[in-house]
Amino acid sequence: MKMLETINLTVGHEKNKAVVEGINLEILQGQIICLLGPNGAGKSTILKSISALLAPLKGAIYIQGQDLSRIKRKNLSKILAVVLTERLNAGFFTAFDVTAMGRYPHTGFLGKLSAEDKEKVSACLRIVNAENLAQRYYNELSDGEKQKILLARALAQEPEMIILDEPTTHLDVRHKLEVMAILKRLSREKGITVIFSLHEIDLALKSCDIAVLIKEGKIVNCGAPEKVGNTKAVAALYDIDCAGFNAFMGTIEIFNSAEPSVFVVGGAGKATGIYRMLTRNNVGFCTGILHENDVDCHIAETIGVVTVKEKPFHNIGLQAYREAKNLLKETLLVVDTGFPIAESNSSNRKLVLEALQDGQRVCTMRDEKENKLLYGDWADKMIYCQSATDILQHCNGTQTFYECKERMKSVNS
Amino acid sequence: MSLSPAWKVTTQQQRLFSGNNVLIFGLLLTALVFVFLLNIAIGSIKISLPEVASIIINRIQDESVNSTIVWQIRLPRSVSAVLGGSAIAVAGLMFQIFFRNPIVDSYVLGVSSGSTLIMALFLLGGFTMGMSTLSHYFMFLGAFFGALIITAVILLFAYKARSAVTLLVIGLMIGYLCSAATGVLMTFAENEKVKGFMIWTMGSFAGFTWEQVRLLIFLGIPFLFLALAISKPLNAFLLGEDYAKSMGVNIKLFRIFIIMVSSVLTAAVTAFAGPVAFIGMAVPHIARLVLRTSDNRVLIPATILFGGIITAICDLIARTIVAPTELNISSVTSFFGVPIVIWLLLNRRTVL
Repeated sequence: MKMLETINLTVGHEKNKAVVEGINLEILQGQIICLLGPNGAGKSTILKSISALLAPLKGAIYIQGQDLSRIKRKNLSKILAVVLTERLNAGFFTAFDVTAMGRYPHTGFLGKLSAEDKEKVSACLRIVNAENLAQRYYNELSDGEKQKILLARALAQEPEMIILDEPTTHLDVRHKLEVMAILKRLSREKGITVIFSLHEIDLALKSCDIAVLIKEGKIVNCGAPEKVGNTKAVAALYDIDCAGFNAFMGTIEIFNSAEPSVFVVGGAGKATGIYRMLTRNNVGFCTGILHENDVDCHIAETIGVVTVKEKPFHNIGLQAYREAKNLLKETLLVVDTGFPIAESNSSNRKLVLEALQDGQRVCTMRDEKENKLLYGDWADKMIYCQSATDILQHCNGTQTFYECKERMKSVNS
Repeated sequence: MSLSPAWKVTTQQQRLFSGNNVLIFGLLLTALVFVFLLNIAIGSIKISLPEVASIIINRIQDESVNSTIVWQIRLPRSVSAVLGGSAIAVAGLMFQIFFRNPIVDSYVLGVSSGSTLIMALFLLGGFTMGMSTLSHYFMFLGAFFGALIITAVILLFAYKARSAVTLLVIGLMIGYLCSAATGVLMTFAENEKVKGFMIWTMGSFAGFTWEQVRLLIFLGIPFLFLALAISKPLNAFLLGEDYAKSMGVNIKLFRIFIIMVSSVLTAAVTAFAGPVAFIGMAVPHIARLVLRTSDNRVLIPATILFGGIITAICDLIARTIVAPTELNISSVTSFFGVPIVIWLLLNRRTVL
């Protein structure tokens, strides 16, 4: 069933000052829709308009086939509930009282709660896992708990559609995930249509049915997250130029643009932590030889460093090997990340071994026994590191190392 | 752990509607009656409480001094103090919710400035509307309508204003404008007249006639009931305008309704007794803190009772503490209200 439809909708706060134009959306019952876009793109304005808190400048909004501007507020409040960003001061209201406020459209002249109403309020608190908060004063709850109560309040209206403006802002990871899980449950179990805006794009793309990308007053793209949430589209949406988004992994990685001075030999995800550590400390690196679609390969490419690749499941060919070897020679430190070795990537072992033979410094994450097995007596020449940060101490000779030292000196003096 | 959620829910609701609250309301009602009678009994001529009760109940209106004092002087004054206090307190409560601001009262929209300006026109400017002398009653009516005119102007803005805060600022501006005009009138007025005017602006429940009391009852009681009638949307309003809107409250209509009810209540009192400071700001907080609730279905009746009791006590103090001279009511309420408001501001965590 069509829950919400907008036709040529233009929204904004003042006449002749459209914030977003030409919005044509069609939302079915039970779908989860997420609005994505940079700050100030107009997400909140759209949400306010479709929840009838702001009159549209142009175009029409239909809810369940009815023109929104013609639906009586009281009837609308039984179809649509909102969770807003503004903070509220609930005085001496307990969490239960705030939730019970959601019964507003269902209660009589003085708003007295019937036994049934009370039962429903408790049920709503149960849905958001907040029964234990019922008797506490709303004002004294944490941000995450408050958000759950506001969600319960919206549910108490028994709506068919819930509109949430940035429901996860100010929440810790646990509460973020909890709120998203609740929303998902509402849509799947109760068939409630959920529309929200979100800044955590990874979380958004993993939880919505339809992502709506908004930028500069227009809907840039709209569709299933797999379709619209690709790496390029997201980077363009937010104008990100200091970090990369990887749609496959759903992660955001900070770009590393420092001069490469370390060569990381990785594979099977062993190098990811080291990549991030080096990037964090502004140490440039290049990496290889990775099979395409290896986790390490995804991350390295998102970070934007030179990556020597081989086709998936192929043995590492001579071309890739030579390329890696040339890069490796130029660097001051080689890192053996402790990648698992099998036939297809046995060249990586060779790469490390030859580096040792050439007298290059090699950090290793493996233990001595394993190294002896792999590299024989050359293992004695290796620098043993327990953790990724240990490697950093051996990055001397690299530009960053001196920078760090200088900085520490000036800080100490 | 052992308590089931269902059990908790019932205790929650019991807390609101029975037990404690019934006791508090019982005490408040008793206190109100007691203070009311005390107000009539105490004065330059002391009358015993039983005699006061019998004079009122048996409607003794003979030539005796006591019955004249009770019926002609102290009863109208007490009734107006109690009712006036209730009206100002409830108006203050409504504005605190409306503006979502714990330190406003019903004067912030310039209601008192409006009636002050009209009074200044009468008392200082020598406006007599063609009559040789103006009766007090007529002047009071003028002050009342002056307040309502200001309210009407505010309402015009209320329909346009996007948020309550904008309206608050507009109200303050209009208040300043009225004060400025009053200031101009005061500059050119004779000293004697200025003194009389100043006394009026300080506020007093002295000299209430039955005619005025009747008007106060006629306006005050229905509007107090109107305030009670909108306690449900007022509750919704606590969550903010947008939430209230999303739950089906017609905001524009409700804004006008709140401003109107609150302003009429304030105007009626102000016109007769002058601006009464701090009752509107402090009493709602006292009610909130005593009942530990923000639920207006409980809070409005409590505010009515507290407003009546406290104003009556303040009036009693005003006319007895330095007798035979009388203090103005605002001085007493300020001495009483300022410490409370400061204390509340310092403990803001749970306020409003």
